[in-house]
Amino acid sequence: MSAVIAELNALVLGLFIITTIAMTVARQIGACMQLFIVQSLLLAASAFLLGASPVSWHLIALGCVTLASKVVVIPWVIRALVPGEVHQRRELSQTIDVPAALLISLGLTLIGYAFALHLMRSAPSLSPGNLAMGIAGLLVGLFLLAVRIEAVPQLLGILAMENGAFLAGIAVAPDFPLIAELAIAFDVPLLAFIVALLARTAYRRMGTTEVGGLSALRERVH
Amino acid sequence: MILLIPLFPLAAALWCAVPRSNRAAPFVTFAASVVTLGLSLAALGAVRAVSEIVVVRNWIALDALAGLLLVLIALVYATAALFSWGYLSDEEHGRRVRLYHANFNLFAFSMLCIPLLSEIGLVWIFVELTTLLSVLLVSYALNAEALEAAWKYMVLTLLGATIAVLGILLLFWALHITGSTDFTWDGLRAAAPRMPYPLLGAAFALILVGYGAKVGFVPLHTWLPDAHSQAPSPVCAMLSGIETSAVLYVILRLRNVFASDAHLHVGTWFVTAGLVSVIVAALLILQTHDYKRLFAFSTVEHMGIMLTAAGFLTPIGDVAVLWQLVAHAVSKSFCFYAAGATLLATGTREIAGVRGLLGTSRVAAGAMLLGGLAIGGAPGFAAFLSELAIFKAGLLAHMYLAIGLLAIFIVVAFFGLLRHITHMVGGDPESRRRRLPAPCLWALGIGAIPVVLLGVWLPRGLGDTLLSAARVLGA
Amino acid sequence: MAQSIALNLAQIAFVLLLSPLFAGILARCKELVQSKRGPSIFQPYRDLRKLFSKDERVPAGSTWIFRTAPYVIFIVPLTITLLIPVLTNFPLFMAFAGDMLAAGFIFAVSGLFFTLAAIDGENTYGAMGASRTRMVGFLAEPVIIIALFTVSFVANSTIPYIVQQHWVHPIANFFAPSHILLLIAFFMIILAETGKIPVDNPSGHFELAMVDESKALEFSGRSAALVKYGGYMKFTVLAVIFLNVLTTPWGLASSGSPAAVLLAAIAVSLKIVALVLAVVVVESTYAKLRLFRIAEFLGAAFVVSVTAMVTDLLHL
Repeated sequence: MSAVIAELNALVLGLFIITTIAMTVARQIGACMQLFIVQSLLLAASAFLLGASPVSWHLIALGCVTLASKVVVIPWVIRALVPGEVHQRRELSQTIDVPAALLISLGLTLIGYAFALHLMRSAPSLSPGNLAMGIAGLLVGLFLLAVRIEAVPQLLGILAMENGAFLAGIAVAPDFPLIAELAIAFDVPLLAFIVALLARTAYRRMGTTEVGGLSALRERVH
Repeated sequence: MILLIPLFPLAAALWCAVPRSNRAAPFVTFAASVVTLGLSLAALGAVRAVSEIVVVRNWIALDALAGLLLVLIALVYATAALFSWGYLSDEEHGRRVRLYHANFNLFAFSMLCIPLLSEIGLVWIFVELTTLLSVLLVSYALNAEALEAAWKYMVLTLLGATIAVLGILLLFWALHITGSTDFTWDGLRAAAPRMPYPLLGAAFALILVGYGAKVGFVPLHTWLPDAHSQAPSPVCAMLSGIETSAVLYVILRLRNVFASDAHLHVGTWFVTAGLVSVIVAALLILQTHDYKRLFAFSTVEHMGIMLTAAGFLTPIGDVAVLWQLVAHAVSKSFCFYAAGATLLATGTREIAGVRGLLGTSRVAAGAMLLGGLAIGGAPGFAAFLSELAIFKAGLLAHMYLAIGLLAIFIVVAFFGLLRHITHMVGGDPESRRRRLPAPCLWALGIGAIPVVLLGVWLPRGLGDTLLSAARVLGA
Repeated sequence: MAQSIALNLAQIAFVLLLSPLFAGILARCKELVQSKRGPSIFQPYRDLRKLFSKDERVPAGSTWIFRTAPYVIFIVPLTITLLIPVLTNFPLFMAFAGDMLAAGFIFAVSGLFFTLAAIDGENTYGAMGASRTRMVGFLAEPVIIIALFTVSFVANSTIPYIVQQHWVHPIANFFAPSHILLLIAFFMIILAETGKIPVDNPSGHFELAMVDESKALEFSGRSAALVKYGGYMKFTVLAVIFLNVLTTPWGLASSGSPAAVLLAAIAVSLKIVALVLAVVVVESTYAKLRLFRIAEFLGAAFVVSVTAMVTDLLHL
């Protein structure tokens, strides 16, 4: 891998984590979705860069599948299924205020970094940064899932986590047999479809998509 | 022949998806499930002769352990299909019932694929598919509670799946370093001793947590009682009886990969995590107010028992675990049919709201009692025998504290279960007598056969299969 | 030595003469984007001339601070001009007298005087603006510090002339994530520090919503001119640091010959105009944030700068 490609990939990784963190504080569902699209684009870019030299068709295919499914199909599915007024709503409620959320995300990024360092001491990988930022992306996605109570951002949280896992995956397991492509091509759009369907039903039946706030089901204390 | 097994549910799903087949959908589903059960039994018979059938090397194969799970899945699929037939015989909602059956078949398809595959990445995909294809079944009632339950179920299990996929990627990385490319159960087992410790450790933690969320180990169990109380009863039977078991099967098969490194203390982690689940579930059983949640917590408890026993890392412990797996699948699915029958008869899920079930519906009351005794592990039922075997395995492994705690909390859970069930069965009936639909009665009748039979008679074939399946686990 | 002094004077002349022009271009372009004609790009010069020729009034209760502050505000950007590479890419004789951190401190002096003078002016809006500016300043501080730490990690120096050379030798350094992320963070800081749109609306006339402008309300005549002029130059100096030190250290004179310096002046002016256009885009596409959202804007800048540092420590 040439130095310029390595630096470009590192840049993509930095932007990836910033996009992920921005998703945790974005105030509109539409913005959150655009950030997710950017994040997926960056994942694909990283796959292309790592697959460029030496040429790895596996990674290039992965990048193409990511583009097709996460940049095109998933946003389309979500927009088609979830009613428009949900997307236009501003000022999403959030359980943690923005500066605190930013700081926690930063902390998680550092944890991911430390964890990746621990792993990398034992084994060589194609691009050490991918592992660190992938794990950090996974953790920040988890945090996003925890602080958001709207359906669509929660879905995007799951997908962001998955992006993080695959960002780590393309560096440590570049010749992973088929699973990544299959998962991204079929599983993930199906996931988006089902979640969006559920969100739509929830919106129709309850007039809200704040699914995280639901708490009818709980063990009652006598 | 093995490849045909999942094709039948798939074909049935396609048939049910066709708009004109509203009335035929339940029948087609049931027929497909019966054929699937027959084929699965035949496959298990064939496996016993040759120890492993390899269809596509490194991708599709069937051994005794997988065969056992396959038969259990097919069995519960068949009885649940029959029960659905009666449970959802709502003429007004013909279209929804048809779509339910299409989804139900797809769900069964995704589960049947898990034992058939030996490539770990593909197994992960199908584990995720089981979630995706059952979410809409859980939300079938379409009220606020059902949607909330489906949402929690989906978010927590998909979260688990995403954590697990990182573990799997790390495992692949570790495998790659050793120079091997067989990403299968056996390939991993062979390469495990040469894998670097930090990678193996991280993969172990991620996979245990990730798949553990899907099995329902405490503290990631919160989705389980919600989903099980809101889903239609036949879906609960599938979720509880075999979906959790199928994911536990994946954890069990990966156990020895991690156990090859003594520094990881896999046994200790399994026993600890298992005991925590058992204890918490037993206490939750005591205070629950909803009889479907009652059985859901009992599932958490049983999963905990199995994980604890798997942590003994002895062959006899493994036999006991598998025996418990069988007992749990047949009894728990039966319990949920009983719960479904009770719900049909009384119209409420509240334990406090049900009195005098014996007067309302003799069948539901009998089934409730039988199911409660069987799943609680009363003497004379399969769960009792398997739990005894687990105690014996624990004694042999010198795990005295673990089996002491296990014994106490199994008893606590048993009395908790029976207290609630006797409350419902006894007393003066509050509603008038109601007849259950015929397919429900048939499902209860057929479901009761293995529950009663396995407690008093262990068929030779099943015994042999358990032994050879435990050898596959190979502690 | 003589040449060095001449070059320094040329740098000061550059900042002094062209700063109002850049402000004029910015104002004109914003109006054009809004489909208006807008004032001529030389309007700031006319404003300054008018203000310089007017009488000055001073609030009755004010002290010496009020009277000296405009001079401090005017002098400080010119002082910093001595420390940074405005036109040449080789160090001049003041280059090692202070690094980028020192530039930050010197700016803080002018900020302090401005704040005190605003309070001293006995205008309620002045005190309000002062407290708001301080808030923005406090929040921007950690970002600047982290950004400078990152610079020193990457280039092993905070002297602008050395930092400048690091990013382009070899060229791969230019694409380093720490570099690009630093640029984003620094751009956000420029917007905040010079009172541009997501943080403050420089062309607003509503005193209650003002952050920066309301501090200057009490100044009149020559003082007002100096304060305005100082503001123009502050933007130019920050832009020079951003462009010549951090982003695009190209187009600077590598020898002291008048022709090279003239060429450099043109190149640097073009770069600043490009930056001005970027600011126009930001100012026209975003709305001013509510006061308490400013904390989030600068929090985002902080995240970006910390990520820049982390990616550098990772040796990605």
